[in-house]
Parts: sequence; C-alpha cells; structure tokens
Amino acid sequence: MTLHFQPSPPDHVPADRIVDFDFFHIPEGVTDPAEIWHDLVRRGVPKIFYTPRNGGHWVFLNYADIVEGYRDYSIFSTYQTPIPPIEPFPVVQPQGVDPPEHKVFRSLLAPMFTPIAVRGMTDEIQRRAIALIESFADKGECDFIGQYAERFPTALFLYLFGLPESRLDEFLDLANMFFRSTDPEARAKNIVEIYAVLDKLFREKQDNPGTDIASVIVTSRDPQGAPHDWTDILNCGFLLFVAGLDTVTNTMAYIWRYLATTPAAQQHFRDRLDDPDAFLLAVEELMRINAVSNIYRRVTHDCEYKGVQFRQNDRVILPNTVANRDPKVFENPDMIDLDRAVNVHVTFGVGPHRCVGSHLAKRQVMVSMQEWLKRIPAFELSPDQSGQTVFGGSVMGFSGMKLRW
Amino acid sequence: MSIDGQPQGPLMVVANLELCQGHARCEDLCPQVFSTDAVEGKVVIVHPVFPPELEDKVRLAVRNCPEGALRIARQKAAGA
Ligand code: HEM
Ligand code: SF4
Repeated sequence: MTLHFQPSPPDHVPADRIVDFDFFHIPEGVTDPAEIWHDLVRRGVPKIFYTPRNGGHWVFLNYADIVEGYRDYSIFSTYQTPIPPIEPFPVVQPQGVDPPEHKVFRSLLAPMFTPIAVRGMTDEIQRRAIALIESFADKGECDFIGQYAERFPTALFLYLFGLPESRLDEFLDLANMFFRSTDPEARAKNIVEIYAVLDKLFREKQDNPGTDIASVIVTSRDPQGAPHDWTDILNCGFLLFVAGLDTVTNTMAYIWRYLATTPAAQQHFRDRLDDPDAFLLAVEELMRINAVSNIYRRVTHDCEYKGVQFRQNDRVILPNTVANRDPKVFENPDMIDLDRAVNVHVTFGVGPHRCVGSHLAKRQVMVSMQEWLKRIPAFELSPDQSGQTVFGGSVMGFSGMKLRW
Repeated sequence: MSIDGQPQGPLMVVANLELCQGHARCEDLCPQVFSTDAVEGKVVIVHPVFPPELEDKVRLAVRNCPEGALRIARQKAAGA
C-alpha cells in the first residue's frame, strides 16, 4: 500500500521551528496531561512549530491560528488526518469531509442536537444521572470514572440509538477497549467488533425504524433522493460512538477532580442550584479550562501561512486547551473565574465542524453536576488514588479517581 | 442627535448567518433577544431592536459569540 498521505520529510521546515514534542507521552509524575501543552507556551517555543514525533506534525499555539485552522478548510482539511498517519483511515461522517460535502451528514445530524432538541432530552438525561448517582450516594465513596463518568454518556448513547439499557456493559467494554487499549492487535479486533455491532444495529433499524438517531440516519436520503452509502452510514455511527463518549468522560473526570479539590467551587455551584443561568456560566468556565480535545488537520496543498512554508499532507494539531488560555483573548487566562463574563473558548471547536454534540455534552455535564450536588454532600479525593493512569493524545484525560464524602 | 443633525435610531443587533455555527452562547446569555432554530441550531434574533434595558446583556452576548457572527448597529431613524 502506498502512503499517499504520509507527511513529506521536513526539509521545508526551518531548524528554528523544530521542537521535540510527543503529545502521547506524559512524563512520570505529571497528573494533568494538558500541562505538557501549557509547558510549551511557558518554554516560549515558536507559536507555530514542527515536531518530528508521531510521523511529524505542526502545532499551532495562538488562539487566532487555531481558529484559522478550524475555519480555513481550503488549507486545513479534516480529510485523512490521523496522527501518526494511518491509511486508509475511515472517512467518518461528517467530521472527515470538508465543505461542501460535509453538509450532507452535518444537516442530517444537526436537527437532532440543536438546543431545542437537547431541551427535549433533559428528562431522559436527568433520569439516568439520578439512577447512577443514587446507586452509590449512601456508600460514602465511589470510583467516579468507572461508576459514573464512563457509564453515564454510554447509557445516553444507548438511549439516543434506541438500544436497551441491558446492553450497557457490552458497550462499555467496546468503548474501553477502543479508548484505552495500546495493543494494536486487540485494537484492530475491537474496531471490527464495533463496526459489526453498528452494522447489525443499522440493519435492524432499517427494517424496523423508530424515532431514534440510528433510525433517522439509516432511513434518510441523500440530496438526490437515494439512500446513503452504507459505508457512510456506518462511519457516521462510528463517529458518534467515538466523539460522544470519551470526550464527555474525560471532561467530567477533570471537572469532578477540580470540585473535589476546591471546596469553594463546590459551594459556588451549590449556591447556584436554583439559578441555572449563573450555574451554566460557571460550567462554561470549566469547559474552557478543561478542554480535552486536540484536533487534527491536513494541509491541502503546498502554501505559505503566516510566513511559514507548509507542504501538502503536513499534519497540524490544534490544541484547544492552549487556545483557551491565550492571554491575547482571555483576561487572567490561567485563573478559573466561575463568573467570567467574556469567554469565547473553543473547547467544541469553531467553524463548520463545530461540535454538533456540544449542547448535549454541556447538558450532560450540567445535569450531572446538579443532580450530584443535590444528593452528595461535600466530597473530596480519597487518600488512596493508586492505579491512576494519565494519557495524552487526541483526547486527554486520566483513569481511576476515587472520591469520598 | 447624530453629528449630521439627523435623529438617531434605536440600537439593533444583526447576525451574519454565514458565520453563525450554532454555538448558542447568545441564546444562553440573553434568551430575551436570541433564540436558535430547530434545523441547524443557528441564531434567530427574536427582537432585533431590543429594549434599552437589555443593552448590556445583548452586548455581552455579542462579545461571547465565538464566531464573531453578531454585531450591534443603529437602526436608521424613520424618514432619515
Ligand atoms: C465535552 C465533550 C465534547 C467535546 C470536548 C467535543 C469536542 C469536539 C470538537 C473540538 C469537535 C470539532 C472537530 C473538528 O473540528 O475536527 C467536535 C466535533 C464533533 N462532535 Fe464533539 N465533543 C464533545 C461531545 C460530543 C458529543 C456528546 C457528541 C455526540 C453526541 C459529539 C459529536 C460530535 C460530532 C458528530 C462532531 C463532528 C461535527 C462535524 O464534523 O460537523 N461530540 N467535537
Ligand atoms: S453565539 Fe454566535 S455562533 Fe453561536 S448561535 Fe449565537 S450567533 Fe450563532
């Protein structure tokens, strides 16, 4: 197989723009993987730099450039972007295609995730949050990620896809293997399994459609009135699985760790349980500070951007966590200000691929916090945090976090 | 009165729907003036000419739009 999309060797990269940086590698003792990114800024590396690691890729560190990377799809494409490069890579719908084709699946998903649609899901979100929290509320402790942050978005995925709650453990196993395994063989087998599950699911929904998202996707028609390509349907289901689980899990892990170690913040939210606007404003600040996704792009053609030479197929990473603390855009960027008035964070991206699930994600976080704070008294980290692992990559986070109250 | 002596119209808020990507920050911050549609989740300005007591909230919503899709303009006064 020829690797058409392998990045070109960096002979176009000037030496003063090369930094040795491996975004998968979190040094011993670092408990917050985002710190490896903020460390780059503290070290004063160039705001557009190239690292030869992981197949070689650029990194943007200015808010303005990260936003441009999201918006200007004539240079920065979402098609075939994996880092390190894997080819062929599934063309996930709609994230893996640029406008105007992007619009086909984007328009299909968008109505199901608008603020109006998400408001309509609130009861279901709430019911699942309450059931999970009540399963351990009187125990005085929990393994937050295993017992809540992974189970909750997965339970919602089942609901959205019209699947019975009894399949939760099966989906948790699939997701855990997908997001955490480092064994290439196990991973390859896992992806085949996920696609087999999706294939069966979409076929069932095709024969017996309901009102769920899987049914809407499988019964929809393309702009010419024909059914969508089956591969595109599977890749759209796959994207929803990949995009909507781990991101929410890790965002929650970060937020609950912050709350567990910051009693004043717990109190801030408790005091605002009856003031959803102020509560949401504070959630928005936690979304800014805990931006778990590092987004990939591929350069479409040889060109110059901001005086830097780019080659076709060069990869670029847009680290949202860095954009969100750019002092040119945010006042006191490193301070967590739960009343922050102006907060143009890019945790969900910007431009045409802006996270279609952002309203659902925020609702999941907000409802979880509200129901949690109503049922759990002041909480903290348990003294024993053994077994915690920290991971970098495209979605950063950590696993294993015991809380007690 | 404006510099050229014409009466000033009221303030209004305008959206660029090409830029709007449906973050709904405007709706969250000032639902009295901003809403979002059921198709793409793009902004719908319910009251383009907003009452003066909402000016601070509208300005805050404008500054919080991550796409820079909103702006405040002055409506031309009738007959101007
Ligand atoms: C806190 C949780 C989440 C974060 C931080 C997050 C982040 C992002 C980001 C940064 C993008 C832009 C990708 C790009 O420009 O290439 C994106 C796209 C996307 N997200 Fe999310 N996401 C979250 C939750 C969700 C959820 C819950 C869902 C689904 C139910 C979802 C579905 C999607 C989809 C389908 C896209 C692709 C949109 C497109 O290409 O038009 N995400 N997400
Ligand atoms: S905040 Fe901006 S992008 Fe978001 S809905 Fe409002 S106008 Fe559109």
